[in-house]
Amino acid sequence: MNGIHDMGGMHGFGPVRVEENELLFDAAWEGHVRGMFALILGAGLTNIDAFRHAIERMDPTSYLTVGYYGRWLVALETLLVEAGVLRPGELDDRLRASSAKRGGGSPVVLESVRKPAPDRGPFDVFRPVEARPRFAVGQRVAARNLHPPGHTRLPRYVRGKQGVITRVHPACVFPDTHAHGRGEQPQYVYSVRFVAQDLWGVDGEPAASVNLDLFESYLESA
Amino acid sequence: MPDHDHAHDHDHAVSEGNALRAEALESLLVEKGVVTTAAIDAVIRRYEQDLGPMNGAKVVARAWVDPAYRERLLRDAWSAIAELGLARGGAPLVVVENAPGIQNVVVCTLCSCYPAALLGISPSWYKDPAYRSRVVREPRKVLAEFGLELGEDVEIRVWDSSAELRYMVLPERSPGSEAMTEDELASLVTRDSLIGVARAKAPGSDAPGARRG
Amino acid sequence: MAEPRIPPVLDLEGPAAPPQRNGELVFDAVWEGRLFGLTMALHEAGRFEWEEFRARLIAEIAHWERQHDSTERWSFYERWEAALEGLLADKGLCPREELDGREGVLAARAPGHDH
Repeated sequence: MNGIHDMGGMHGFGPVRVEENELLFDAAWEGHVRGMFALILGAGLTNIDAFRHAIERMDPTSYLTVGYYGRWLVALETLLVEAGVLRPGELDDRLRASSAKRGGGSPVVLESVRKPAPDRGPFDVFRPVEARPRFAVGQRVAARNLHPPGHTRLPRYVRGKQGVITRVHPACVFPDTHAHGRGEQPQYVYSVRFVAQDLWGVDGEPAASVNLDLFESYLESA
Repeated sequence: MPDHDHAHDHDHAVSEGNALRAEALESLLVEKGVVTTAAIDAVIRRYEQDLGPMNGAKVVARAWVDPAYRERLLRDAWSAIAELGLARGGAPLVVVENAPGIQNVVVCTLCSCYPAALLGISPSWYKDPAYRSRVVREPRKVLAEFGLELGEDVEIRVWDSSAELRYMVLPERSPGSEAMTEDELASLVTRDSLIGVARAKAPGSDAPGARRG
Repeated sequence: MAEPRIPPVLDLEGPAAPPQRNGELVFDAVWEGRLFGLTMALHEAGRFEWEEFRARLIAEIAHWERQHDSTERWSFYERWEAALEGLLADKGLCPREELDGREGVLAARAPGHDH
């Protein structure tokens, strides 16, 4: 989808801010959200592609203001509500209640909605396919001018642009279908090099390129 | 999830209490002249900027001293990394090599994919819209803001992790490091150099690698 | 010679080893990192021998384990703080009453104060 998340090339976000004395103190936060993610993943309720798309579907203002782990939490809540595990607004109710008193609240029971857990890790994406790769290293290709309303990993800034294939990777689970429960439908992935000035025109820097990993159906011969 | 809410509140309150006590300790010791804020800041800066992910640094150091290992790393990163006794990560990994005239830099414009299995937690700036939006469009400018000034004689290759493959940069070996042991070489490799916004540190340098400010 | 990655004083394994991931230190909150920095700075200034601190840290951890069971919330850096406080008190660098007093003063600040 052409959402706020697809921000490659956007103007207006200001300078890159580096926290000077930021030690890695996100460990507890990260642990909590990763734990919850593992929980719903293990219950067969989602996959990494649906999770990413849940983040993409956020209200754009919230996307920009809740922060990285805030986005994860919103996505987890969205997926749990859509899976029928949480009622809409139930998480808010529970947070209001717990700030008023300690303890209480009934456990969330996943058993009633559990599906068979996947037997592979969420990022274990290579799949064998019968077909041979359509494109080869060195071939000139164009990223197609696609604007799917659902999940895709074809950023806006490369659509319609030409580049050269530098590497052919094994076939991978296809996010555009997998995120929507339409199966893994694996496709070959190609590393494609785009010259900066082909992407950004006269405003692009010289001696620069952007390399993306693109699924076969995103590409056509140039 | 079920008891997470109030347990989290409790944890937070305890953490706030600890933070207060730690602040009290620091402020007293600074007042008494036992230690300075600058000294504490310097320790933290050293750990945050210079002493980054050991595992990634180990891999780079081995690649620097062993050309055959370097070839294997570039061809099949996780298998080469596993040779050093390090665990394979869940997502596919590709190592891209810097060279005289080539600087690689990594980003994920669509979300924030990062080789966390090897490098741990990503820095906040990597996940922020400013970096995600700008480094694909004006990499030379962004790198200059990090303190890495590159002329047009250096080709910059930005890797946008748009599929599940994660990327790590193999920085150039620091000049003057020829006599160093592998462990010493590993200590030159910073997190920023593995993302591609800095070079590895120079030998004997106390300064962080190419960090601005 | 290049500076060692994690100084030899720090244990990488065993009861006194701080939490790590991917070969680097990780902290759950800013105060933990701050406390760590404070401790290393004090050591580098020669205020104590590392083994003095380390022995106390191990003792604090063992003491906690005797008093609590494994289902209770564990914080490595709370044990670290206890060890440091004890060491500094014994060396006369920071008597406990003063520390308690300072803590009280800071706690009385208006809410919303950014630590």
